[in-house]
Amino acid sequence: MKVQYSYLKNFLSTDLSQAKLADIFTKVGFECELDKSIIEFDITPNRGDALSLRGLQREFNAHQSKKLKDTLSYSKLNFKKDKAVINKIDSTGCGNYNLMVIKGIHSIKNLDSKKKNFLLAAGVPLINPLVDLGNYVMLEIGSPMHVFDFDLLDLPINVMFKSIEKPFQAIGGDYKNLDVSSLTIHDQSGVQAVAGIIGGEQTSVSKKTTNIAVEAAFFYPEKIVNQARKYGLATDASHRFERGVDPTIQKKALERFLFLLSSVAEYESVNSYEGNSKPLKLLHVPLSVDRFNNFSGLGLSAKTISGLLENLGFDLIITKKPMLSFAVPSHRFDISLEEDLYEEILRCYGYDNIPIKSPKIGPILPVKAFSRAAQLRLGLVSAGFMELMHMPFVSDITFAQLNHESWKPARLLNPINEDEPLMRGSLFGSLFRAVNANIKKGYSSIRVFEEGNVFRQSAKSFIQETHLSGIVYHHENMKTWGQKEWVYDLYSMKANILQLIQTIGVSNIQLKKNLSSKVFNLNAIDIFSKGKKIGVFGEINLSATGKLLKKTAYGFEFYLSKIKNNSTASSIKLSSKFPLSSRDINIIVSKSHPYHSIETILSSKKINYLEYFQLINTYEGPEVPKDAVSYTIRLVFQSNKKSLSEEEINGAIAKTLELLFLATGAKIRS
Amino acid sequence: MQIPQDLIDTAKLKLKSVQSEAEFFQLRSQYLGKKSYVISAFSDLKSMDPKAKVLAAKELNILKGKLSKIFEDALEFLQRIDDASALDVTLPADPYLVGAEHPISKVAERVMDYFSPLNYQVFAGNEIETDFYNFEALNFPENHPARQMHDTFYLNSKSEYLLRTHTSNSQIHAMLREPLPLYMLSPGRVYRCDSDATHLPMFTQIEGLVVDQDVTFGDLKGIIINFLEYFFDETMEVRFRPSYFPFTEPSAEVDIKFGNNGWLEVLGCGMVHPNVLKGCNINTKKYRGFAFGMGIERLAMLRYGVNDIRDFYSSNLDFLNQFSS
Repeated sequence: MKVQYSYLKNFLSTDLSQAKLADIFTKVGFECELDKSIIEFDITPNRGDALSLRGLQREFNAHQSKKLKDTLSYSKLNFKKDKAVINKIDSTGCGNYNLMVIKGIHSIKNLDSKKKNFLLAAGVPLINPLVDLGNYVMLEIGSPMHVFDFDLLDLPINVMFKSIEKPFQAIGGDYKNLDVSSLTIHDQSGVQAVAGIIGGEQTSVSKKTTNIAVEAAFFYPEKIVNQARKYGLATDASHRFERGVDPTIQKKALERFLFLLSSVAEYESVNSYEGNSKPLKLLHVPLSVDRFNNFSGLGLSAKTISGLLENLGFDLIITKKPMLSFAVPSHRFDISLEEDLYEEILRCYGYDNIPIKSPKIGPILPVKAFSRAAQLRLGLVSAGFMELMHMPFVSDITFAQLNHESWKPARLLNPINEDEPLMRGSLFGSLFRAVNANIKKGYSSIRVFEEGNVFRQSAKSFIQETHLSGIVYHHENMKTWGQKEWVYDLYSMKANILQLIQTIGVSNIQLKKNLSSKVFNLNAIDIFSKGKKIGVFGEINLSATGKLLKKTAYGFEFYLSKIKNNSTASSIKLSSKFPLSSRDINIIVSKSHPYHSIETILSSKKINYLEYFQLINTYEGPEVPKDAVSYTIRLVFQSNKKSLSEEEINGAIAKTLELLFLATGAKIRS
Repeated sequence: MQIPQDLIDTAKLKLKSVQSEAEFFQLRSQYLGKKSYVISAFSDLKSMDPKAKVLAAKELNILKGKLSKIFEDALEFLQRIDDASALDVTLPADPYLVGAEHPISKVAERVMDYFSPLNYQVFAGNEIETDFYNFEALNFPENHPARQMHDTFYLNSKSEYLLRTHTSNSQIHAMLREPLPLYMLSPGRVYRCDSDATHLPMFTQIEGLVVDQDVTFGDLKGIIINFLEYFFDETMEVRFRPSYFPFTEPSAEVDIKFGNNGWLEVLGCGMVHPNVLKGCNINTKKYRGFAFGMGIERLAMLRYGVNDIRDFYSSNLDFLNQFSS
């Protein structure tokens, strides 16, 4: 709510500076922003009572340890009940309904310049002096009002929930189809206003208006909330009714309107009417002084507590030490519990005056292993990867490009960008865009990763999993100053990945060729641990990048929830005192047998003394058949019990060659 | 026997100006050669009486030892400089990339570094959430205007699902599942249907919650001030300002004086609303709680002097490279 400083200062009868006033209101819970001569108050949704000068005055006075006094002038009215004017009121939606009929209005002038400037500063446009006056009273004491052209009304009025067939034309000209959940004001010709929101065009005042009916009513917040939004008709009135308007001020608002009218126009007669209303019951809330002091860490007396609350309009009803009980004033819709009173006391006493305590320590936690995700992240950073973060919204095309056909996306009902209505099913969409953007900037060597959730629908709910994915794009043409070539290929990525997952202690890794991912081409490998797929890496399928990447790139994807912490220590093998002996073998193997089949044989523990092995060269050339490849493999032998003799080593090599021949048809390359 | 005390100092001084091995050996013979003071002093010992001889010999041996060590070290240094096989170690390294965690991760870790020694457990939460955990259980009644404070993304086809608007949903999951007392922290991404230079539709929050006996507003103030001073590494002027969150009562926004910018809002907090505790089957006569939530982007902008929140999600390596140290 925006208020002119000069107007507020006069209303509050204070000489405090604009900054000082703003500081006081901020301290009691109404954050202020200053814009030249205007103070803008941030009124939280629970404090509809503060959306007026009167409401602000109450808070200011309480801060100054004073109670609110009504110093405004009113023209006294006698309200009559007349079914010919106000007929039926639906008491589930309307607490009270009052109408003031003023006839023979003439010599209408504009509001004085102070009031006009006050309205304009508050963002309320000037429409017609009679309407402006209603808006002024709303801003002054908090009761929204509506002014009908009396001659266009077909009395009596009914306030009810009723389905409407004809579209309703609101002030301004827009037509709205109202549904039965909206409380509406009807005359005998149809709907003339949507309760608490807006009046109808048909009965609105104009320059020709001489007779008016001014409505001041109380509508229950729960019946108004969301109605204005639903119709796209948010108004100052709906903003207040949604948050709660004091149900005791409507008649006073009409009396104030009438008093101020005399400075704007002359009139011949006034009659005021009221509908049936429910008697108001004030809520009583108990408060224990001890509990409050224990809660706050303060030691306030019952007298101090009562004083603070009474300045805000709470009445002390019962004192039965140590219990107090307070009647909640009719303007406070946000108070129903003892803790609500604590907040009132504390904000008036001042949060700054509450003593500070040293931080408490929680219960001792079981020792947890450093999370795999954190370790992976650190490993990637050490390997030169830069972490990125992106919005998770993607287009239908991107989702389809990167995810399995059977995946149903999580689709937003109200996306911020209509082209990206889905939650991502893969992190690669934004990673591709990121690499593309940085290539355009001139980067030729890029290593990036991102950790984040990916989403899809399941039968009953949604699946959200945390992935950690990354890309290496390396097309650096330069050699080092030492003329060393620096290339990055699939096997470089394989080294990166194996180093990473073995360093973090993931055991029993199996690698299998990936055949299913859309993100990768055929040169990709699934990583399994304890039978579960924990990730995949390999060469990016460029067609899945939507032309964002045009040159070879490598990527990886880890499924973090599948990577388990390994809490059991593996038993350590005794190291041998005897020397290692290494021998190289050259074999020719058909390409139909991938290297993995050789690895499987050599790892099978069927070869005596074989400690480990290493591929040291591959060769394809004139001496090797076209459909085969030559491998040079270094075999390293060792015994725990003795130094191996040449015979024993040769025996092991012979066994190796025999097993390889049986499994793959491998032959020695002469 | 009078042994000159400045022998070692002068030797060191002269060694500093030595440029070659030839110069070195010349100087060494002056100090340790046959005609040097030390060696000739040993010959003079013969003429001394036995008691004085023992003392002088001991002193001379110490002096000779020190001089020998100084010359040994100097020779090693000289030879290292002169070695033709030594590489020019000032040439550049082979190409390497320096990685870095994202500034948002760094800031989130800094926040958690403060709370982890205080035994706050860390829980991750759902980003796609039900209305119950995001609003209802947090005392946002249906149709309450407080819900309008949160511009919410809803999921199509399953109307009870939404993108969480705050990390406070984790409070509810934790209170329903974990034993008390509970000290918890929950970092994660949250969503609001809003976008401009200062707002993004997705941002990062860290939620903190304590449920314990005899927890007071003073405890909340204490930990928040202590945390802010740790985070910004300086004594802070901190202001607690009354505010409104449906899930806390009383509620406060916390402002700090930062640079020349006046008061800046950095987080929201409050005592857990009794309706929230009761909804999680917690005995409010025995337990109370406090909660706080902070926007990591906001803290990161202050810590690193970033002016545009969108930079964090720009993937711009020029920007992110600056966080590698």
